[in-house]
This record gives sequence, C-alpha cells and structure tokens, in this order.
Amino acid sequence: MRRDGSNGRFIFLALMLTLCGILMLLSVIGILSPAESILSAPLNAISGAFTSFSLSLNNIAEDFNNFGRLNERVAELEEQLARRQVELIQLREVASDYNRLTGLLSYTSNIDNQEFVTADVIAVDQSSIARSIIINRGTRDGIAVGMPVTTDLGLVGRIIRVSSNASQVQLINDENSAVSARLQTTRAEGSIIGLASGVLRLTFVDLDEDIVEDDLVITSGLGGNFPPDIVIGQVTSIRQFEFELYQEAEVRSLVDFDTLEFVLVITSFQPIDLSVFTDDEEDQ
Amino acid sequence: MGRYISIPILGFAAALSSSIIPQFIGFVLALLGSITPILDNSRGQLSLVLLLVIAWAIHADLTEGFVWAFVGGIAIDLLSILPIGASSFALVLIVFAINTISNQIYRINVVMIIAITLVSTVFMQFATYQILVLLGNSYNLLALIRLVLIPTLIYNAIAILPVYGVMRIIQRRLEGGLQSAPNTLA
Repeated sequence: MRRDGSNGRFIFLALMLTLCGILMLLSVIGILSPAESILSAPLNAISGAFTSFSLSLNNIAEDFNNFGRLNERVAELEEQLARRQVELIQLREVASDYNRLTGLLSYTSNIDNQEFVTADVIAVDQSSIARSIIINRGTRDGIAVGMPVTTDLGLVGRIIRVSSNASQVQLINDENSAVSARLQTTRAEGSIIGLASGVLRLTFVDLDEDIVEDDLVITSGLGGNFPPDIVIGQVTSIRQFEFELYQEAEVRSLVDFDTLEFVLVITSFQPIDLSVFTDDEEDQ
Repeated sequence: MGRYISIPILGFAAALSSSIIPQFIGFVLALLGSITPILDNSRGQLSLVLLLVIAWAIHADLTEGFVWAFVGGIAIDLLSILPIGASSFALVLIVFAINTISNQIYRINVVMIIAITLVSTVFMQFATYQILVLLGNSYNLLALIRLVLIPTLIYNAIAILPVYGVMRIIQRRLEGGLQSAPNTLA
C-alpha cells in the first residue's frame, strides 16, 4: 500500500516535470509569446508601480545623504561650467565650419535622423545571474528585438525579448553582452564586455594603439548591432601586460544601471544581419 | 483554498522581488558601507518567491506544494530572462524533496528550516545557471558564487524565519476557516 503511494508520488513528480519541460520548450521556440504577454501584463503593472515608488524613496534618501557635500559640488560645477563655456564657444565655431562643409557635400548625419521611444523601467531581472531590465514598451510601440537602448548619459543595452506591451533589455554590463567600441580621441577600436562584478571592460585593443585615461568610449558601429557614436563610458584604468596579445581598460559608464528610471529606445535603427556573409565564407 | 491564494501571493512577491527588494537591499548595503568584502559589488537578491514556496510546502500536501511551485516558477520566469517553466522545474523538485523530508520527520525545527532554505537556494541558483548555459550564455562560475550565490544565501537565511512565520499564520487561518465552515453552516 505504502509502495503504491510512493509510486504515485513519483509518477506525479514525473508528470509535473514533463509539463514544465514542455512549457520550457514551447517558450524557447516562441509559441508561448502571446500567453506570456497576457500573463506578464498584470505583473508588469504592479512591478512598475513598485519600481517608481521605490526609486522615488531611494532618490529622497540619496539627496538627504548627499546634502552635506552639495556646497562643495556646486563650487566644483561652477568652475567646470566656466571652462565648458570657453570650450562651447570654440566648438560653435567648429560646428559652423562643419555645417558649411557638410552642406557642400550633401552629407546627412545619422544622428539627426534617429527616432526614439521613451520607456519606463518597470522591473529588474529575477534571476540575479543575468543583468536585464523590463521596460513598459513593446511591439505596439514599434519596439523590435535588437534595437539599441540608451539614456541621455549613454548606452544602456539592447532589446532581447519583446511582448505586446513590454520588452526585456540586456544591459551592456551583462556578462554575455559585447559592444564594438572605439576611443573618442585616439580612435583605437575594441570591444566592451560586461564583467561579473558589473564593471565594463574595453578589450581586444591592439598593443600599438594608445589608450588614455578619462578618454570617452563610444560605439563604433562595427558589426551592425549598434549605431556609431553613442557614448558608453569613460576609461578609468588601463591594463597592459607584455605576455598578452591585446590591451584592456576598465570603463566607467555614466549610467547607474541599478537606479534606471526611464530609457530611450532607438526605433529607427535596425541591426544588420552579417551572418549571411559568415555562412557564405563557411560554404566556400 | 491554499492553491488559489498562491496566485496573488506569489505574483505580488515576484513583483516585489523585481522592484522594491533590490532597491531596498542596495540602499541598506550603501548605508552599511562595505561591512564585509563578500557583499562588495553584490548582485545577490532575496528570493522571496522561493522562500514563500519553501515555507508553504513544509506543511502542505504534495499537490498543494506543486501548485505553489508551478505558479511561483511561472511568476519568476515572467519577470526574468529565463524561459517559462524553467523555475517551475527547479521549484517542483525542491517541493518534492521538502515534502519527502517533512513526511519522515515528526517535527521541523528552526535549524532544519534554515538548512532546507540554504540547500534549496544553492539548487535553485545552480539550476538557473545551468538553464542559462544551455540557452547559449556563458558566465564566470566562481565570480557568480562570490557575487550572487553567497549574498543570496545570506539574505535568504535571514528572511526565511519571518516569511515562514507569516505563511504559518495564513495556513492556520485557512485550516481553521475550513474546519469551522461546517459549524457555521449548521
């Protein structure tokens, strides 16, 4: 009798595991996407409300903590502003020359043509292993897989999953993220990868290229996954070893990935599929 | 009744886990400063859904435990990169193990609850890691143990007792309600 009960338990377990396995398979294939959209809608709504509430509380606490340092910071910023104003005047001169010359060449900048959709961050990934966020815009708003996500401070990530009213964004500091990048002043090219600690690393930079501390790292557009010239961060330290084939640098993003409130999705950019060329090479 | 309340409780818990709880943990860590190097750059999160499922499964029958595991897993997967059913798969196995243990032991004490929580957390994190690897991702396992697993174990070990206490109160209320229902009708 007891053995029958035990067998029943194991059969029940096997049935449950099979059901979960089938669901997993259907989810990976994408058949469950409509159901996922419907089921995730109430969760996203609740999560979004909680996120905005907790972020506002966090902001208040942070402001309160920083109150003592504000005067010092204001003086520092005033000094920076004065320096930037001088730079601005110089840059305006350069810009006017640039506009005149590009007008002559009938050249149109890509940046002028970019279209954005603003989205609120409504949740962070439940599995602490992957670094991703969920935003409250989906296919209804013209969002598609592969679109880059930014803020006014720089690159955030790219869309990896979309439902009708929400999308999942893989952050650039995820361990499985890689972004083609270049340094703004030296034009040295490399790849920005995320580390387990959440830090960004510029890697695969040729040994004969110069990496300068505080230099801005921007997207290079190579690979066709991101548009060029989006700010990624600033070089904070350089790692150079004689026995390695390339040099590396730690990069600090200006974006605080833990307290993101809203992001911009570049809807006008379509990632370019280069796999067709790779396949051709393999065939040959 | 226990089966039906799993949906609002676990849905609410999943939403909390992906919104307020990470912010709260970040805030507390910032206030405490770097008390221990283990928590520096910590990415660990309190697994509220896992704790609720464990707390409920200890005193529930297997069917009810499986319902909680299934619903909890779906709630986790809807708010994560994982495919639907992945977390349910791990939680169903955890619930089965808990049910087997609790059937063989007369009384479950505090140490046992914390031990179950720690083992379940390790299993859940390992299962999540394996599924992500199977999906083509790659992660630095040693860094994940230091930055994700150890902090998560600490948070879960601290939170399981209050979570268990609240779940027991709800379970007793439900059991009491069911027992007194015929008298009320009479």
